[in-house]
Amino acid sequence: MIEFSEVHKAYADGTVALQSLSLTAREGEITVLVGPSGCGKTTTLRMVNRMVDPSSGTVRLDGVDVSTQDPPTLRRGIGYVIQNAGLFPHRSVIDNIATVPVLLGRGRAEARRQAGELLERVGLDPRVGGRYPAQLSGGQQQRVGVARALAGDAPVLLMDEPFSAVDPVVRADLQDELLRLQSELGRTILFVTHDIDEAIRLGDMVAVLRVGGTLAQFAPPSELLAAPVDDFVAGFVGRDRGYRRLQFVGAGSLALSTFPTTGDGWLLVVDDDGRPTGWRQGGDRVALGTVHQEGASLRSALDAALSSPAGRGVAVDDDGRVLGGIEPEAVITLLHRTDALEPADGGDR
Amino acid sequence: MLSSLVAWFSAPAQWSASTGIPARLLQHLGYTALAVLVGAVIAVPLGLYIGHTGRGRLLVVGLANGLRALPELGVLVLFVLLIGLGLTPVVLALMLLAIPPLLAGTYSGISGVDPAAVDAARGIGMTESQILFQVELPNALPLMVAGLRTAVLQVVATATIAAFVSLGGLGRYIVDGQAQRDFTQMAGGAILVALLAIVLEVALQGLQRAVTPGTRRQEPARTDTVTAGG
Repeated sequence: MIEFSEVHKAYADGTVALQSLSLTAREGEITVLVGPSGCGKTTTLRMVNRMVDPSSGTVRLDGVDVSTQDPPTLRRGIGYVIQNAGLFPHRSVIDNIATVPVLLGRGRAEARRQAGELLERVGLDPRVGGRYPAQLSGGQQQRVGVARALAGDAPVLLMDEPFSAVDPVVRADLQDELLRLQSELGRTILFVTHDIDEAIRLGDMVAVLRVGGTLAQFAPPSELLAAPVDDFVAGFVGRDRGYRRLQFVGAGSLALSTFPTTGDGWLLVVDDDGRPTGWRQGGDRVALGTVHQEGASLRSALDAALSSPAGRGVAVDDDGRVLGGIEPEAVITLLHRTDALEPADGGDR
Repeated sequence: MLSSLVAWFSAPAQWSASTGIPARLLQHLGYTALAVLVGAVIAVPLGLYIGHTGRGRLLVVGLANGLRALPELGVLVLFVLLIGLGLTPVVLALMLLAIPPLLAGTYSGISGVDPAAVDAARGIGMTESQILFQVELPNALPLMVAGLRTAVLQVVATATIAAFVSLGGLGRYIVDGQAQRDFTQMAGGAILVALLAIVLEVALQGLQRAVTPGTRRQEPARTDTVTAGG
């Protein structure tokens, strides 16, 4: 658990990076700090491992005031991932990952063996281990950066815009990978980003900071989308927040329609096992489009309905077999009925 | 001229006597090594400090430019007047020549290390000396060796001035040749200095390649492709 209490930071030239921040990042959760540049989010993160010391106020890590700790010792117990990874160019990938265990005094051979396992854990081919950072793509480097932060078995991870420098497709992969890792490891993660979509995707809790270093809102992503406290947060969260909010709403009680089996209209084509393969209209075959899998969010259901060429989406079960059709109207009806929005089980964030 | 040069180089006495080519070559190398070593003892720690802390950057620029502008022979004469004849004034004068490139190479090598790597090193718990010696220094080595190359070349070419103050080295052939109007001997000395400079240059180029991070110990190129990751 990371607690900030009334943390204030001003620099010698009078610039105030943080007004007075109080915030708790709960154990085993991803807490995201998000805001425009100049809002003090990176400063906040760097106070946890004493890369920056607050002018006043305290930062506690598991109840211990970090200002009482020796910085190098403190930092060896905290995973640290930064933008552009910051890998050591002169060390092989394996030795980069093994850095912290070696600093902690563990044997080099053991540290390397563990580093090899971590490579696989972050989705890299173990053969990458003998390479040097310059021989890797940006996305691969970032994965190595995450592996290096995990190598010390630190319960707390600080991630400072770790995925900002890679292209959107790779970024989405890395985000999925982080969520998968987190579901296995359950670390306490403080994550800084300027990208609100990334914050909503990754965060259990999201702190929106304003320029000048004040906390605008601290809430779970669904609440941030449903009820932004003011115009700043609403503007920052973005224009299609109403739509994006649907990803936190379960589609469990959605009324499904049945598909016609004959006629001149759109007919759904299924294989022998009942899995949809496409549409037929008149004599033409048309591609299927997005399908909605049982248990996914209302956003997925609405997307299936809107993206279907037939004007109605296809809902399938876990095995991919057709359950029924999704009319856009049914989604809207369910929304009207669900005054208190229930979170999706598992969600598809 | 060419035939007399061949004769000069092939005279048996040139290769055996205590004033022969091997002996002069070793003396010349000795002055060079000593001057560069003393220069490095001063310039490298200073460069490491300035590069790591970022303090005193102006000193590097001022010192490097100032020392480069000094007339070597004049400096040598000044040191001889101050200290007297001997090895010390020669080494001191040559050392002044070695310091600017060594200092500039070390400073720019250290300060040029990827700031993200240094930030990461600090952030994962390296102490300042661990950052300097385990991250900054290994990555600064190519530029430091480049500085060493420049220093060695300048010193090896200038070490001929040792002969002006009655020391040995390859400069003897040039100084004596001039005094005796023996242009063959002068040309022979000049050729030897040039050859020595080329040999050292090639050797130091090899060293510079060897210390470039990420290339040494590198496995041979592979044909298979690693597909994981982005």
